[in-house]
Amino acid sequence: MNILLRLQELFSPLGHLVSYILAYIFESLFLVIFVTISLIVMIYVFRKYMARVQQRIGPNRVGKFGLLQLIADALKLVGKENILPRNRDDLPYKLAPAMVFVSLVLAFTILPYGDFFYLGSFTVTHSEVTIILLFGIIAIMPIGEVLAGISSANKYALLGALRAVAKDVSFEIPMMLSVLAIVMMASARTPSSLSLESILSSEFLPYGILEPIGLFVFFISMVARASYTPFDLGESDSELVSGHSTEYSGMRFGMFYMGMFGSIFLGSLIVSILYLGGPSGPLESSLGFIWLIIKAAILVLISFTVWLSMPRIRIDKFINFGWKYLIPIAMINLILAGIITLGWGL
Amino acid sequence: MIEVKEPKKRIPVVGLISGMLTVSKYMFKKPVTVQYPEQKPDLPDRFRFRIFLKLDDCVGCTLCEQVCPNHSINMQKVDRENPRNKRKIYPDVNFGTCTVCRNCQEICPTEAIYLDKEFETARTRNSFTYSPEELALKENEVIK
Amino acid sequence: MSSSEWVELNFGPQHPSMHGVLRLKAKLDGEIVKEIEPVIGYLHRNAEKICEMTYFNDNLIYFDRMDYVGAMNMEVGYLEAAEKLLDISISERVKWIRVIMAELSRIAAHLVWAGAYGLDLGMLTPFFHCFIEREKLLTIFTEVSGSRQEVNYMCVGGVYQDITEKAISEIEDFVREFPKRLKDIFNMFMKNDIFLSRTKGIGILDKETAISYGVTGPMLRASGVEYDVRKAEPYLVYNQVNFDIPVSYKGDNLARVLVRFEEMRQSLKIVEQAVKKIPEGPYFNPKAKKSLMIRMRGEGDVYARTESSKGEFGVYIVGDGGVKPYRVRVRSPTLKNLSVLPELAKDVMIADMIAISGTLDLVFGEIDR
Repeated sequence: MNILLRLQELFSPLGHLVSYILAYIFESLFLVIFVTISLIVMIYVFRKYMARVQQRIGPNRVGKFGLLQLIADALKLVGKENILPRNRDDLPYKLAPAMVFVSLVLAFTILPYGDFFYLGSFTVTHSEVTIILLFGIIAIMPIGEVLAGISSANKYALLGALRAVAKDVSFEIPMMLSVLAIVMMASARTPSSLSLESILSSEFLPYGILEPIGLFVFFISMVARASYTPFDLGESDSELVSGHSTEYSGMRFGMFYMGMFGSIFLGSLIVSILYLGGPSGPLESSLGFIWLIIKAAILVLISFTVWLSMPRIRIDKFINFGWKYLIPIAMINLILAGIITLGWGL
Repeated sequence: MIEVKEPKKRIPVVGLISGMLTVSKYMFKKPVTVQYPEQKPDLPDRFRFRIFLKLDDCVGCTLCEQVCPNHSINMQKVDRENPRNKRKIYPDVNFGTCTVCRNCQEICPTEAIYLDKEFETARTRNSFTYSPEELALKENEVIK
Repeated sequence: MSSSEWVELNFGPQHPSMHGVLRLKAKLDGEIVKEIEPVIGYLHRNAEKICEMTYFNDNLIYFDRMDYVGAMNMEVGYLEAAEKLLDISISERVKWIRVIMAELSRIAAHLVWAGAYGLDLGMLTPFFHCFIEREKLLTIFTEVSGSRQEVNYMCVGGVYQDITEKAISEIEDFVREFPKRLKDIFNMFMKNDIFLSRTKGIGILDKETAISYGVTGPMLRASGVEYDVRKAEPYLVYNQVNFDIPVSYKGDNLARVLVRFEEMRQSLKIVEQAVKKIPEGPYFNPKAKKSLMIRMRGEGDVYARTESSKGEFGVYIVGDGGVKPYRVRVRSPTLKNLSVLPELAKDVMIADMIAISGTLDLVFGEIDR
């Protein structure tokens, strides 16, 4: 059963069309609340984990064990003065944080989640082409970063935006090639192989076991997309003051910050859906959602450890790595996937 | 004379993973923070910061004013009955320029001026100069 | 792009990296740095002129505040010159105590450098581990003298107070536990392929350029010249302890990093030997009186050089028979090291310029005095 259909039954006295529209609105609202809560929990876990690794305590004054620290930070950001540079370009300057944040939240509504006890699954979108939708929406986020860098009248922001463009363009291609390998392997088993739900329901082994190289390439591309060290050239903290988000203050800066953490979570969810089997596990019919969150949480912890222990890579070695090493590896992965599909008759 | 050698070349990703393991193993050790207002740090005996004055022992010889290297001590007239101090002058100290060099403590003939462990002197104030009566009091009794 | 289209960018005195108040005026062609000009003077506190107005023994407080991360090296440097001018001899116990304190300050200064370098490159964790170790050293300094960083422990003729038994046992504990932690910090840097790719083969300083610019210290030793003041002209008791000086012949960033880590291990070796060998004796020479009636007078001029953690630290004092010096001049090693930066940073990318200026180990209290 599906939460959408349950809600629609609840509203059915109001008529057929109105009940569907109301059911969609309420379910999307649940998803937005879920995203916000998961971001808050993630930032709290990050600050405590970083503190323990550095042998100190982390936030523990605001609320018991520091649980209300994030709410205090958000209130502080909302209450700050709105400083706008004089020579800015007005419309792109104000549009850029909104683009980053809105496209991030929109991307969460396309993923298939598993069942949640007896209530049913959270999935909002049921269409035949969710993979194309998903990667199309994710591709809007870098546009926001570039617009932010170009429209602030600041040389540091411009340099940060140029680096961010180079990084995003060169890491888009290996990501798409690895996803292509999965679509190819799924097309032998189901006719609608561009839809995430049917990929999940038609596999018998998680694709991470059949294509480990693809998992590696895709994980590195998601690290590059989310821009944390070792790939945080857009915002290198000690060279350019803050990269593309230098001239932003208050909640606009908060949206960039949440965009970075949100892409870490989104990347972990996508990797666990595509490669690690998603909601499958024992007791799938009632605990699928919990299994998905556990797999994503383990990947998020691994991402944090990568963040804390690596230096930044230089821009030309980075682009070298993307074009000269990752693309041939992704192509070898594609060929291997083709051989497995046709040769073994999977 | 020894020559330092560069580290050997390793397989590419193995070094990164062992670096991550070294970092994450510190998660299980105890934190070293001292949570300040509730727990005070453990200071050794010789720790010195603030100048104190015993008003009854001071004889007004002005030796501390002459020996201070950056002229932070000036003598002030205080109307106080003290059989040892007929000129009725006592030192006051400007803590903004004091460099805690202990010259005044060394040269005082009656050990009236001395340095002690108190370090929590932060509050809203107009000037850094402490008058002679304030030098005799502990910090939580000094109200400006 | 031709030279009229270069972008001029200012890495201003307020900057999120830990160098201090350095201003770099850089001309960029895209991402490549074409010309660079450092501007200094934001921390000038007039120490040399003030020293002309203060007695010989009180001048020490201004020398503490020059290289504030490793303060006892500066005191040893000044006292070498002042005691030679005023003709005051010190006992053996004082010499051994001064050597122990100077080597511990050298370790503290190199720990600050290591943490700040990791933070420049983007690593967030080694900074905290380095400062946790430095905290133990600062507790030892408090136990001995009373302050953590601006110690004012030595004076003309000896030291201010004797070293206690508790301090010696704390030093022995530190010597026993520091090598494990240093190995962890070293592995965090060296096993990382990305760190090696940022430092290998970048910023190569060859022998002739280094000698002609007057570079000394770990930067010179990483370019192939085996010169250390502690071995060339030994002062205090350095000819009675066993230690080596690390040298590399490559001259790039990685060589300088490795030389500094090896220096920390050699300093630990010196402290370990010295703690067992301290003889008994007086800790102060009574001829160097500090009362107002009798002040020490000196005539003539003296130049004394010692090895601080940054290089060769020289002090030149001129006395004219009075109780205050006529002129005090300080040769600051970091200023000479900074002058080679425009030469090293020609035609490199911005990220490399930050990595190179991190290995110069800039502390602005010493450059601007």
